[in-house]
Amino acid sequence: VNRNTIKPWIGLMVLTMLILVHATCVHGQWLALTNVTHRFALSELGGAHILIEYDLNDTNVSHQVPAYLFIRYRKQSAQSWNLVSPQLLQGRQVVTSPGHNQCAWWGINQAGITNLDQVEIRIRALAMARVPAGLFRKKSVPGAGHDSSKGHKDPFYLPEYFIARYETTVAMYADYLNEFGTDGSGWNPKMLDAQRCGLEKLTSGLYKALPGRANYPVNYVSWYDAAGFLAWCGLRLPTEAEWEKALRGGLYLDGDDSRKIANPMPERPFPWGNEAPDAGGVYRCNVDGDQDGFAFTAPVGNFRRFNSPYGVGDLSANVAEWTLDWYQTSYHAGLDGFRILRGGSWMDPPAGVDAVSAPTSLPLKSSSLMGFRAVFAP
Amino acid sequence: MQNKTVTRRTFVKHSLMAATTLTALSGRRVLGANEKVVLGVMGLGGRGTYLAESFAKRSDVQIAYLCDVDTRRFARAREAVEEAQNHKVVLLQDFRKMLEDRSVDAIVNATPDHWHALGSILACQAGKDVFVEKPMAHSLWEGRKMIEAARKYQRVVTVGTQSRSAPYVKQAVDYVRSGKLGEICLVRVFNMMQHAPQPAAPNQAPPPGLDYDMWCGPAAMLPYNPSRQWLNQWEYSCGPIPGDAVHQLDLARLLMGDIPCPASVSATGAIYALKDGRDTPDTQLAAFEYDKFTLLFESALWTPYMKKTPMDVRDTDEMPNWPFNATRIEVLGTKGFMCVGRHGDGWQVFNENSSLIATVPGRQADQEHQDNFIQCIRSRAKPAADVEQGHYSVLLCHLANIAWRAGNKKLAFDTRTESFPDAPEANRYLRRAAYREPWVIPDQV
Repeated sequence: VNRNTIKPWIGLMVLTMLILVHATCVHGQWLALTNVTHRFALSELGGAHILIEYDLNDTNVSHQVPAYLFIRYRKQSAQSWNLVSPQLLQGRQVVTSPGHNQCAWWGINQAGITNLDQVEIRIRALAMARVPAGLFRKKSVPGAGHDSSKGHKDPFYLPEYFIARYETTVAMYADYLNEFGTDGSGWNPKMLDAQRCGLEKLTSGLYKALPGRANYPVNYVSWYDAAGFLAWCGLRLPTEAEWEKALRGGLYLDGDDSRKIANPMPERPFPWGNEAPDAGGVYRCNVDGDQDGFAFTAPVGNFRRFNSPYGVGDLSANVAEWTLDWYQTSYHAGLDGFRILRGGSWMDPPAGVDAVSAPTSLPLKSSSLMGFRAVFAP
Repeated sequence: MQNKTVTRRTFVKHSLMAATTLTALSGRRVLGANEKVVLGVMGLGGRGTYLAESFAKRSDVQIAYLCDVDTRRFARAREAVEEAQNHKVVLLQDFRKMLEDRSVDAIVNATPDHWHALGSILACQAGKDVFVEKPMAHSLWEGRKMIEAARKYQRVVTVGTQSRSAPYVKQAVDYVRSGKLGEICLVRVFNMMQHAPQPAAPNQAPPPGLDYDMWCGPAAMLPYNPSRQWLNQWEYSCGPIPGDAVHQLDLARLLMGDIPCPASVSATGAIYALKDGRDTPDTQLAAFEYDKFTLLFESALWTPYMKKTPMDVRDTDEMPNWPFNATRIEVLGTKGFMCVGRHGDGWQVFNENSSLIATVPGRQADQEHQDNFIQCIRSRAKPAADVEQGHYSVLLCHLANIAWRAGNKKLAFDTRTESFPDAPEANRYLRRAAYREPWVIPDQV
């Protein structure tokens, strides 16, 4: 191992998996990073830091659909991996152009790192969509409980945020478990189901997507499992409002700062518009039945012709997505709250996969219907 | 597979009158000793889905049907049930199709309050046994009709008041009966909760997938509003307080030997904290006078310092912190004082010196309650929470509601006619003012 080169294992893994995934799927996993290097550097004012350079190979990455970058490290004397604090990356977590990039990890001496021999570094990139700041038509009215967005106004203002273009995949989750959950936490034996999930725990204690399943959405994850994965990435679940705006778009698709591109359908019930998911015999997402091509879950990005105005895929159906918000029922008040799920699933009828249908579930529950996606809010 | 062939039009066309033919159509299946009990579930909200999954996990039960007027509720219940029993289910918006199936032995009715009676009566007429969720009936009169239907069609009808099946509760009943508490003159029932205000939103068209006409059923068809919570409206509910507190009142009645009706009720209450457009009180107190004791009932929706038993205390040998326990019953005798908790909390007795003299921990009894229902389907015995006991328990909720709606009055209650002989203005609350055709419960069930 070249000490000045971070292990290029991610690129190799992604390449291997991409060969296995559904031919029409893209961006289902970490974005490929190559030529990753790191080196010590010193600055007069900022002190010691590690300068990380890499090539981001996905040519689709842009200002509108950037990559979210996160770095994890392990000191060689330690067993566990840690996330490099976002504050120490100088705002370089959102990468808006492909090609050669770099970021600086500041404050390494404070992390107890004085030379490169002491540390292993892993860098990953996730495909995101930018949702510009501005108003949108919020049509859902959550039940009584905790609304992270602090209200139910329509139109409703949200600051800029970034949301994962696709649901978290089996491959991503396996990667997380291999680094974080080798004690078995976060894994559910039901994930072995090759039709519905396809995540295997090997006798070695490591995890692996079953052949052909890497690019499918991970399911059988509880709310806590989802939160654990996202904390590992430095991310979080979307609020209901963030999820809904990502589906429908703001009043202006370029945001209230520009107001040049009015949203032609600001009250759309589905990411693509007003048509029902199965209107005219065209299936726009993975709902109940196999007429859409999938009896169970579909690979993420399979219906990308019907992405949201921001290019977010699979918001309707496939797996219902955990949100940050919770719902307090009359009977369980004072106890743990029910978490709200959005988007419906592969087992829902077309009526159940719109922008406002919002079933609830206890946070410990998991099923083949429920998955999640990430949000980054600077 | 989802049945998409039954439209609302055809459903309405086949009015309630048609239901009387269901008995002849379906007949009764003779259940073999080793045969699975075949169940259908109507109402796939949180409780209905939980019950469907729980029953599906039993080796002696098969869930054949899942019914809900809102197709958006199908997926979660279907996935849970099919995974638990490894057997497909039929999905229906129109539960009456399920009642026509002779292979169905019983139904679980976990609909909102206003559908409890009609759904259960139709099931009895079709020869099905019934597990109906609490509060068992939307009005006092509906409860009586449910008893009549159960008896007429010789059906097992049990209510989802599962504490009745808990061994620790039976021990408490025996203790009370032993006389060790002395003469019991007062029973205090608490049910304190924390509800948030319902958010405001404009009326709108019902969403696709929801048969709102059928959801309203026998009740008035108010404009659809996504924020309006049915639990807070008299039209569809007994109120959020009775909806939960009926567990407590049922448990108190059981402790007192399943005593039927009080001689009078007086009530007070108001909407103090949750002024969000609801028409049901957020604070409700009632006093029920029996021959030998008074039952005091106290409940509110805005008391965050009084919580239901924490999860780490439930189903353990640990006892609740009684003064701040939101769901306790106090039995006050001339010799002793008993505190009983609901969620598998157990009970304790204190003597005249305020010394603790008995402690019995408890466990929750959902499983035992379901066991009892399935056993009674086979044996034809009366279940632990027979419909008649369910009636007398929810009757207390109705009396408290009526006394409050009549202006916080004290009302004498005639236990024979189940009405208020001295307060004709209160009698109008005994029965829904108008049933919406065709969802009329007939006088003769």
